[in-house]
Amino acid sequence: MGAALTAMSIIDARGITHTYGERRALDDFSLSIAGSGVFGLLGPNGSGKSTFITMLAAMETPSQGTLEVFGEAPSARLRGRIGTVFQENALDPLMSVRESLHLAARLFGVNSREIAGRTMELLEAFGLGERAKDPTSTLSGGMRRRLEMARALIHDPALLLLDEPTTGVDPDERKALWEALLSRERGERTILLATNDLAEADTVCDAVAFIRDGHVVAEGTPDELKRGLRHEALRVTWDGPTDEQLAMVESWAGAGEVTQDGDVVHITVDDASVFVPRLFNLAPRAIRAVSIETSSLEDAYFQHVGRRRREPREATA
Amino acid sequence: MSAIEMRTRGAQAQVRSEAAPTAISAWIAMFGRDIKGVIRSRSQLYSSIFTPLLILVFLGNGVSQGLSPAKLSAGNFTAYLVAGTVVMTSVFSSTFSSASYYRDRDTGVLRMFLSSPHSPRVILLGKSLAGVVIGVIQALVVLVVASPFVEFQWQYGIVQGILVALAAVLLLNIMLSGIAQVFASRIKTMQGFHLVMNLALFPLLFFSGAFFPVDNLPTWLEVLARINPLSYGVDALEMAAYAKSSDGFFGLPIDFAVMAGIAIVVYGLGMMKVPRLTWSGD
Repeated sequence: MGAALTAMSIIDARGITHTYGERRALDDFSLSIAGSGVFGLLGPNGSGKSTFITMLAAMETPSQGTLEVFGEAPSARLRGRIGTVFQENALDPLMSVRESLHLAARLFGVNSREIAGRTMELLEAFGLGERAKDPTSTLSGGMRRRLEMARALIHDPALLLLDEPTTGVDPDERKALWEALLSRERGERTILLATNDLAEADTVCDAVAFIRDGHVVAEGTPDELKRGLRHEALRVTWDGPTDEQLAMVESWAGAGEVTQDGDVVHITVDDASVFVPRLFNLAPRAIRAVSIETSSLEDAYFQHVGRRRREPREATA
Repeated sequence: MSAIEMRTRGAQAQVRSEAAPTAISAWIAMFGRDIKGVIRSRSQLYSSIFTPLLILVFLGNGVSQGLSPAKLSAGNFTAYLVAGTVVMTSVFSSTFSSASYYRDRDTGVLRMFLSSPHSPRVILLGKSLAGVVIGVIQALVVLVVASPFVEFQWQYGIVQGILVALAAVLLLNIMLSGIAQVFASRIKTMQGFHLVMNLALFPLLFFSGAFFPVDNLPTWLEVLARINPLSYGVDALEMAAYAKSSDGFFGLPIDFAVMAGIAIVVYGLGMMKVPRLTWSGD
């Protein structure tokens, strides 16, 4: 990775609050993204990712706060410089692969002389050149996502919004999709990826922000976020741990964050070999499995966003 | 305040300057897509053409031969039905075209439209205009295919009569597409939309003079026929194509004024209060 570049702000959100009825979707949300590359927006369902993307595309207006894209307030006109891939398919089953791109090209005002060439270039890049005449309904799930990626790029947007683009895509297709996209697009434009897939974000993102309850709780490069963690992470499948047991684990020397997600407890530790025997001594019948991993973005995520079993103890003087 | 400046492998993002796409280019693209959709939905295409023809052939001949109604033009009920079947075709076409709103919503295509640099108004108007063009084409196909069955009178002359018929079909479809689009963009389900359209438009179709003369109906039904917008489409087409004189008709100025007035009102209402289209397309 190269050094940070000084670039104009592509997205600048300051203190955005937005409500749907009683529900507060965004709460004092602030984020500024500059430069090109892949930026990940990570958070659980309902954390506000899609609401923020909706605002970038000028389909919602913040109740409070200011939002600028390319230095101005989001508008329908600005959508001409934004490409979008939605979480769910948005393809007409009665149209062919090529027609789908032509339609988008015309809607986005691509010069008619450039449409045919640009269409074939993108279809080839995304491995769909031989399927150009086929109805979109005959494509596999992964191919449809690739087609939607190609369609989102037909007008050469400066900002590409990807709203959980690989949901439901099998691992092979997912790999093919990212390779096709990043081999030609990384560094060419700003890509904002909203996702729940932490491993994917760890692999493809240059920088990420964790969102919880409608606001950013941590941000940085994946390496920066992982740097603050202990060296190793334990993923413990544990039937019904009690608060007392988790408090005890957290009090052990060398223990970091203890978080719980269903029947899985994540513990960041300095040295797993010391902890594993102590865990089995603490709850010999309730612990079903323990895996040891090097700290990942997922651990950083659970540290900031995961449902915290216990709030951190207050520092004492 | 958060601030992220991404490390990149390539060049700094350049803000591209692009000419704003026009609404007309969007409408042409949307029309092209919708006409392909109609052609590829064979059942919709065939039913829209053959249903009116079946009515002409079977109902027209049956009534003409079996009942010989004396009030019909030259005693020919088939000829009488032509204007009505053209209006009926327009009603069905506008309903089907507006129902494509639900297909677009359910397939996600509406989201793609909304992510383009056009306002929801432009998108809704584009869909509506595509419906108008498709409806006009289907209605004219019925008019042309039906021509061997009837003896046209062309009281204004052939060219003028054809122009009047074209104008009537166009105005009728603008009015109907506007009505259907207003319903479609406010009713959440396709089933609900078809129910409302059937409840609203079928009675209007029956009391428009499309299938039987409304001259001797009871007063309350005659009043219904007079406030029925479809009556004026039937009236204009009958006058253009096979009426020998204007006696007993509303008259072209009234027909066109009523249809244009309603079209302006429904489009005005539709554009003044565009339903809130969300990112999810709901």
